[in-house]
Amino acid sequence: MLLLQPENLLIQKTFSKALSEDYIPATLDRVITDFDFTAYHISTPSDKTGILLSVGIKCWADLIAHGTLELLESIYSKYSSFLQILSDGNAEPGYNYGLYLELGKVDLQNGEEIATLISDLSLLKRNCFAAPFLEAFGRYEVLAQEEPVDPNNIYGEDAPNNSKEPVIALGYRDNESIFIKPSNDRVTVIFSTIFNDETDKVFSKVFLQEFSDARKRSIQKAPQVINSHHDIPLEIQGLEKENSDNKKTYITFVLFPRHLSTDEVKWNSITQIETFRSYFHYHIKIVKCYLHQRMRFRVQSFTKILNRARRDVTEEELRSERKTASGRRFEQRT
Amino acid sequence: MASINTPAVVMDNGTGMTKLGFAGNDAPSWVFPTAIATRASGSSAKPSAPAKPSFLNTPNVAGSSGSTGGSFGTSPSPALSSIKRDMADLDFYIGDEALEAAKGPGYSLHYPVRHGQIDNWDQMERFWETSIFKYLKCEPEDHYFLLTEPPLNPPENRENTAEIMFESFNCAGLYIAVQAVLALAASWTSSKVTDRTLTGTVIDSGDGVTHVIPVAEGYVIGSAIKNIPLAGRDITSFIQTMLRERGEADSSLKTAEEIKQKFCYVCPDIVKEFAKYDNNSEMFAKYIIDTVSGRKITVDVGYERFLAPEIFFNPEIASSDFLTPLPEIVDGVIQASPIDVRKNLYKNIVLSGGSTMFKDFGRRLQRDLKGIVNERVSRSERLSGAKSSGVQVQVISHKRQKNAVWFGGSLLAQTSEFKSYCHTKQDYEEYGPNIVRNFSLFNVPR
Ligand SMILES: Nc1ncnc2c1ncn2[C@@H]1O[C@H](COP(=O)(O)OP(=O)(O)OP(=O)(O)O)[C@@H](O)[C@H]1O
Ligand SMILES: [Mg+2]
Repeated sequence: MLLLQPENLLIQKTFSKALSEDYIPATLDRVITDFDFTAYHISTPSDKTGILLSVGIKCWADLIAHGTLELLESIYSKYSSFLQILSDGNAEPGYNYGLYLELGKVDLQNGEEIATLISDLSLLKRNCFAAPFLEAFGRYEVLAQEEPVDPNNIYGEDAPNNSKEPVIALGYRDNESIFIKPSNDRVTVIFSTIFNDETDKVFSKVFLQEFSDARKRSIQKAPQVINSHHDIPLEIQGLEKENSDNKKTYITFVLFPRHLSTDEVKWNSITQIETFRSYFHYHIKIVKCYLHQRMRFRVQSFTKILNRARRDVTEEELRSERKTASGRRFEQRT
Repeated sequence: MASINTPAVVMDNGTGMTKLGFAGNDAPSWVFPTAIATRASGSSAKPSAPAKPSFLNTPNVAGSSGSTGGSFGTSPSPALSSIKRDMADLDFYIGDEALEAAKGPGYSLHYPVRHGQIDNWDQMERFWETSIFKYLKCEPEDHYFLLTEPPLNPPENRENTAEIMFESFNCAGLYIAVQAVLALAASWTSSKVTDRTLTGTVIDSGDGVTHVIPVAEGYVIGSAIKNIPLAGRDITSFIQTMLRERGEADSSLKTAEEIKQKFCYVCPDIVKEFAKYDNNSEMFAKYIIDTVSGRKITVDVGYERFLAPEIFFNPEIASSDFLTPLPEIVDGVIQASPIDVRKNLYKNIVLSGGSTMFKDFGRRLQRDLKGIVNERVSRSERLSGAKSSGVQVQVISHKRQKNAVWFGGSLLAQTSEFKSYCHTKQDYEEYGPNIVRNFSLFNVPR
């Protein structure tokens, strides 16, 4: 598994089961988690055929400031005959947003439509995070219209007036944020992330170097990645006051027009970027697992060599070698 | 670290099945085989593993066998081929997907847990990695973990587990609980249990072994534990043998497993049960398999319905080297425990694990055990002439029995005190792996 799947498999499993033909309605009450302090609760609050999927996201306030509610509405309202949206005050206490599915009313015709519904439900977290990105992409289109890219600007320098464009900030974890800044020829996404573990920090540097180099080497279509370990990138210097005790690492992705050309490409960019932090931390963990494997293998082969080097000691020798606790030898009495 | 109020992750990795989920839920989110399918020529297999195609040149280090090995340290240049191999390292599946992948060529299937204990740490580490990131979708740094271990697990295994959980995954906190203790906690949901104690006899029968474990106030009485080498797997293969001998149309392991779970039960008396079947053909059942091609295969199900679970009570029908019936073992275990807890051990006999799911298993066990105990009581009454106050024997079956260990873990890990019983990443870094040799016991919430 190279990439983390954006879908939540447990939501997928629950609803695939609930929407299958031979489903026997049952009482549900379970919590499910997702990355970045996202919590789901699947329950049957009144009767067994009405399933409520609630979601709680840490940076909900940041998200709804950038159109998440409208986006979710546009995605889920097409199911309005059986799927009720619970937002604002109507959501389950402790959660931010809810989708209430009445099994009895589901009127989807074929398996394909049902599969789309299940996929839409299991991508709830991705969809919540998508709105700010889409907003920024929209701004980019407007800016690009207003001020077409100067073809002479071959170095891709930022036009000076773009620096006034507001930056969208999402505090997706404690002290870790995503910043999105549109301009007339690109959208810049900056992650700040913290490695609490010293070893992880070292691995992260190697990884980030690889990311930056990958583009140079072969994968020219990839977004440009710039990393800085302690210095706050220029774009967000107004927002991040200080990098206290230099713990944060900043990773900048530059999305160029080709990453924003069609809807499909846009959504793909969002999906990849939204899971980036988890992906990054996941791979550092994989590397550690791999190293542990090599280490165990080494130890094993050394132990083998040592075992082979052991001399067979005869019973006689063993007896003469026997020592007291203080290290004195037993006298052999004859 | 800032506030962590994410639910704790509860993982019970059994010999056959892994149960994964979040504390507070009433059932595990995932139950799948503890199996991992790796690329057949992968380096993860133990050097002693059965012959694998090793077309890679033998490493120059003497003693390392033909798996890819040897590159750590010996070939420092990260050539393209090594990058490729690193990817192969990510090419594996766990659980049901592993079984699926192993059907095709290129993958070989491994079970990293044996007899309840972790046997292959390389595979287990990757199994956990995928469990956490793919199936549970959680960042281990944000969660506390409750893992389980079999009784008498060597402390080294605990340390290895802690090393992986803390060093590879940086999990926020860890608690390793003994399965039997969790099974006792799970029995509190039964209406028969009046006081929530952690004293009782646990009969944990899973896939590979059956343990009979006396527990007094949360401590396992190690000296009295008995293992029985008969469990789910043996019952399944017993059924398979019977199907084969009768020449049924399908006698695959899967069919035998299905028949076991759907049709088997424990009877009070085999002789009478045989007679019942012979007088009434309705007792015979039919198991119908829908094949992929749309054809239906019918398998007759006969005496194995009650004979298979009977091997717990009359082991001689399936095994030639293990002959003591389960009730006798349970009695022996309790008699081997300190005298002052015996009474409570008889009173609270708790079932746990998939192989105790047969209908009337608990009832039969209780009856047979009562018989043994009553006989002893009346014998001692005869010898001493004094009247005994009698011994109460009670076997407790409950709804959550199948995943009792996981459920007990979920109950305990959702309490507000749970985190204070865990060792945290900071503790680990300060004191090293051996801190996990001891965990303080849960206070019983009343
Ligand atoms: N309804 C059922 N009736 C009979 N047997 C069952 C039933 N359900 C599951 N089993 C058997 O239970 C076994 C799995 O039980 P469980 O999950 O408790 O074991 P485990 O925890 O993997 O193993 P162990 O505890 O030995 O390490 C399998 O052999 C399965 O065939
Ligand atoms: Mg078990």
